[in-house]
Amino acid sequence: MIRHALRHAMAGALLCATAFAAPSASAEDLYGPLADDPSMGGTLEMGLLVEPPGLDPFHQAADARIRLSLLMYQGLFYEGVGGEAIPLLAESYEVSDDGLTYTIKLREGVTFHTGQPMSAEDVAYSYNYIRDPANGSPGAGDFSMIESVEAIDPTTVKFMLSVPNASLPMTLGNKYGAVVPAGYFDTEGAQNRMNVESVGTGPFKLVEFNPNSNLLLEKNPDYWEEGAPYLDEINFTFLPNSASMLVALRNGRIDLVKLERPQDVQQVATVPGLEVERWASLNQKPIDLGAETKPLDDVRVRQAIALAVDKEEIKNASVGEYGEVIAAMPAGMADGWGVPAEDLPNMSRDLEKAKALLEEAGYGDGFDLTLTTINGYDWMDPAAVTLKQQLAEIGINLNIQRVDIGVWIDNFRSKHMGFTFNDWASQPDPNLLFYRHFHKQPEGADFRNWNNDEASALLDAGRAESDPAKRKAIYAEFQKVLAESVPTIMLFSADHVTVRNEKVKNFSQHPTGWYFGLVRTYVDE
Amino acid sequence: MSASPAAHLSRLWRSPDLLVGSILLAVLVLVALFPFLFTAHSPVAISVPDALQAPSAAHWFGTDDVGRDIYARVVYGARVTLSICAGSLLISAIIGGGLGLASGFFGGWLDQVLGRLIDVMLSFPPIILGVIITGVLGPQTGNLILALSIVYLPVFFRIARAGAMSETGQTYVEAARSIGLSDGRILRRHVTRNVTPLILTQYMILFPLILQIQAALGFLGLGVQPPTPDWGAILEGGKDYILFAPWISIFPGVAVLVTALALMLIGRGLQRRLDSR
Amino acid sequence: MGPHLLKRLGASILTALIASILVFLLVRLVPGDVVAQMMGQAGGEAAERSLREFFGLDQPIYVQYWVWIGNVLHGDLGTSWTRGMPVSDMVGKAFMVTLEIGIATLAIATLVGVPLGIVAAIYEGRTLDTLIQGFNLLGLAAPVFWVGLMLLVGVSSLLSWSPPLRFVPPSRSLADNISILILPVASLALLQAAAYSQFVRQNVVSAMHQEYVRTAVAKGVPVRLIFFKHILRNVLIPIVTFMGLILIQILGGVVIIESLFALPGLGRLLLSAIETRDYPVVQGALLVVVVAAMVVNLVVDLAYRLIDPRLRHG
Repeated sequence: MIRHALRHAMAGALLCATAFAAPSASAEDLYGPLADDPSMGGTLEMGLLVEPPGLDPFHQAADARIRLSLLMYQGLFYEGVGGEAIPLLAESYEVSDDGLTYTIKLREGVTFHTGQPMSAEDVAYSYNYIRDPANGSPGAGDFSMIESVEAIDPTTVKFMLSVPNASLPMTLGNKYGAVVPAGYFDTEGAQNRMNVESVGTGPFKLVEFNPNSNLLLEKNPDYWEEGAPYLDEINFTFLPNSASMLVALRNGRIDLVKLERPQDVQQVATVPGLEVERWASLNQKPIDLGAETKPLDDVRVRQAIALAVDKEEIKNASVGEYGEVIAAMPAGMADGWGVPAEDLPNMSRDLEKAKALLEEAGYGDGFDLTLTTINGYDWMDPAAVTLKQQLAEIGINLNIQRVDIGVWIDNFRSKHMGFTFNDWASQPDPNLLFYRHFHKQPEGADFRNWNNDEASALLDAGRAESDPAKRKAIYAEFQKVLAESVPTIMLFSADHVTVRNEKVKNFSQHPTGWYFGLVRTYVDE
Repeated sequence: MSASPAAHLSRLWRSPDLLVGSILLAVLVLVALFPFLFTAHSPVAISVPDALQAPSAAHWFGTDDVGRDIYARVVYGARVTLSICAGSLLISAIIGGGLGLASGFFGGWLDQVLGRLIDVMLSFPPIILGVIITGVLGPQTGNLILALSIVYLPVFFRIARAGAMSETGQTYVEAARSIGLSDGRILRRHVTRNVTPLILTQYMILFPLILQIQAALGFLGLGVQPPTPDWGAILEGGKDYILFAPWISIFPGVAVLVTALALMLIGRGLQRRLDSR
Repeated sequence: MGPHLLKRLGASILTALIASILVFLLVRLVPGDVVAQMMGQAGGEAAERSLREFFGLDQPIYVQYWVWIGNVLHGDLGTSWTRGMPVSDMVGKAFMVTLEIGIATLAIATLVGVPLGIVAAIYEGRTLDTLIQGFNLLGLAAPVFWVGLMLLVGVSSLLSWSPPLRFVPPSRSLADNISILILPVASLALLQAAAYSQFVRQNVVSAMHQEYVRTAVAKGVPVRLIFFKHILRNVLIPIVTFMGLILIQILGGVVIIESLFALPGLGRLLLSAIETRDYPVVQGALLVVVVAAMVVNLVVDLAYRLIDPRLRHG
């Protein structure tokens, strides 16, 4: 009963990123395709394996937060599936010739959940708040190229940049920050109140958020978009393991689920009344190689490892058929931005060459290496044992060390990641994908201590370039440098696999893994 | 002729608990020591095409999500699981028992301080103590052993302390003191000798309990590092496949059950013998 | 009884205080605090610093403890760092769930275990006794979470039924409440009923072998009378003590059952708070666990004295 719904809607979506880019509405609906004849009302029961640690879009970086908070909070733009930033709370925008000034016209008739109308003052306040590092937002870094945000008149804001940045609209999306009433954070305990009461402009309002239990959202009756959303309520239940989730799905207590481990599909694929769907994804599962760890500082050792890895086998062990092996770009962006694997170095397995490289680097007898995996990331266990076998063939003895996410993040942030699996995603834009991870310090974070001048220069050029064709060429060059010097080995993108009860209609899964699609979902009883 | 072994054997016969338990445990120890005699499969070799196969002649207990033989993993897991449990319980018996002996024998401020610390440890329910320690230190074998050895340390402490206190009042200890034997010597010679059986019995009684706590921590993902085969860890890996491939979870659970059963039978037999003395 | 109780109480408070210091230090030893988790793979140093200041994590540990314990003594457990709710609310709600599971388990274990134990003792050495002892051994040897897992799968595949997803307090709907708790309580109660039954059997058997019981039987006193007048009264004290022990055991065992069955109890709260490094919640939850265990012990101690008058003056 698996319906292959892999959507590759990437091509041709890169044409309108220049000035006066109020895109034609025909390109793509906000949040997902509109339904023809939706039933209104009803409650959707959705199961989640990961509970968001909080709902504050300003101070929580967790992906589990973003997936849900975007239903309550909105940025100026929506991350179009095609990689294009579509105006959301913005209506249109203009870019100055030097690329340093963005004048954004705001949508009219928008009100906050608190009842007050949204104005340019609120927009300026919200983005000035998040970009100030003193306010402690993990997103502050993404907004650091903004010099000032000003309200020109009640429906116009002006963003001044220090350097041209072609991905500003995408940055003003729904990952970090959102538009909230001006002065919101001035009151005591405002951060915490976001877990009790929502103050955004989104289609759903927060009703209750109970730890280890559920999150209940209700329709925002004053939502600015006519006729949306279709559902009256969405009830997210947090389940600690997929066993109980699959049982609940099978017995009709849950209507919709996105499986974290795609191979769990087998357990429900034959159940009547359940529909399984697969969606292209922007996530990537790489091996990261921190150059601070010997002997990974030697580029030949990193290349040897890349040549010893069989991505296909690791993918099969981890997610079975529910994923795509990738070269140097996540599956969801490969059509638009990727360079084919055959045009990149170190992409196909070559044990002889790998051994020769190790010999050359002085590790002909092999060496011991520790691979870090994260507790709770199920795909990493089978991937780790598979990798262990593969690397043994070139004399590398791999020890597997499973750590808690907190420990892992600490290593990562202090730039001592060593040899580790990672699991991440970004918005569909190459600048947002690569810049902070791979640009040398201090402009980027350079978590892998790669410190590569050529790559950094390319990343700067790509960020400033607004011509789509030139931009694509620059990032193609970057991918070649990445593949040659191997700071990371991108293994595969796991498909987003969703299972829904037949009565759930018109749900679509956004490639980021975020639940935009719920705004367009309805239940047919 | 010496009647001793025969007498032993006949006593064993009279206590069926002890007999059955000992036979079961002997088999388990054999498996733990020589796992390769029991299976030709490797416990860690993966074979993705053979993933999630039901039990068959080739794979007696089926295979897991990366095609490893569950039977081989359970067999090799015996050594890992039993040695972690036996080792950590030994640590708690030695440290807890030693401190308890000293505390009961010498009394005074030492007894006060140690008693308070033990009370603190006892104020956490056993599994919660294990969860905090492994949760805080991270899921690694060393930390797991540390956590498990702390869990029942207070029990050994209390038993040894009570034993030492009752021994200290005995006339032979006073007699030994009066003929000028040093405290250290008395402690070693007399008190320890009399308290040791208590500790050994307690060791056997606690073994099945620590086994279950170990499995539980493994089940929560706080156990050994992959790909080490450990019963709790196999169970944890299987829980997500429970509808589709229940054999991954059934067999390591049965292994824990049978082992706990064997140990309980032995513990019960020993306790009875101790009581009848 | 007064001075004894006071002494016990004082000792308990001291123990709780030491435990709280230990817990406080222990959670802070873990690498990766709440700020690191909030920042994830993003962020910059300035933002991180200001967040750490916000949570008071820039202060020396003893200052942090002093502030925390001061607030606790004023009845304020603080605010969750990730959820922004008062810790007392979160812990209180979770505790009620765990308490309900504990009491239900205890009730079922007592109702099943005590009669089984008595029956086994009466039929000592006969087939029924052997069967009950077999049940006891199996119940004690089977890992609780494994039994839970087997029950979940068995019921789901045989009856196509699974427990409702969200915990409903009995005050809102007793029927829903029961259908949610039936499997977790059953898996916990199996173990505890076995433990209970074995314990009761042992005590009744040894009471039956007492000299005065034998004499009474020899004299022709009706067995029922002997049983209720002498034996039962003698085993009541150990049964009460055992009840306390079991309640504390359940408090621990519930951690795993709660994660397996997705129940929002104290154990799951504790696990998730350790994971997200939400120190105020970890500290608050553990404090409640420790205090609950102490209260149980105190109550058992008191009950013991009430039942056995000899101890009142002892």
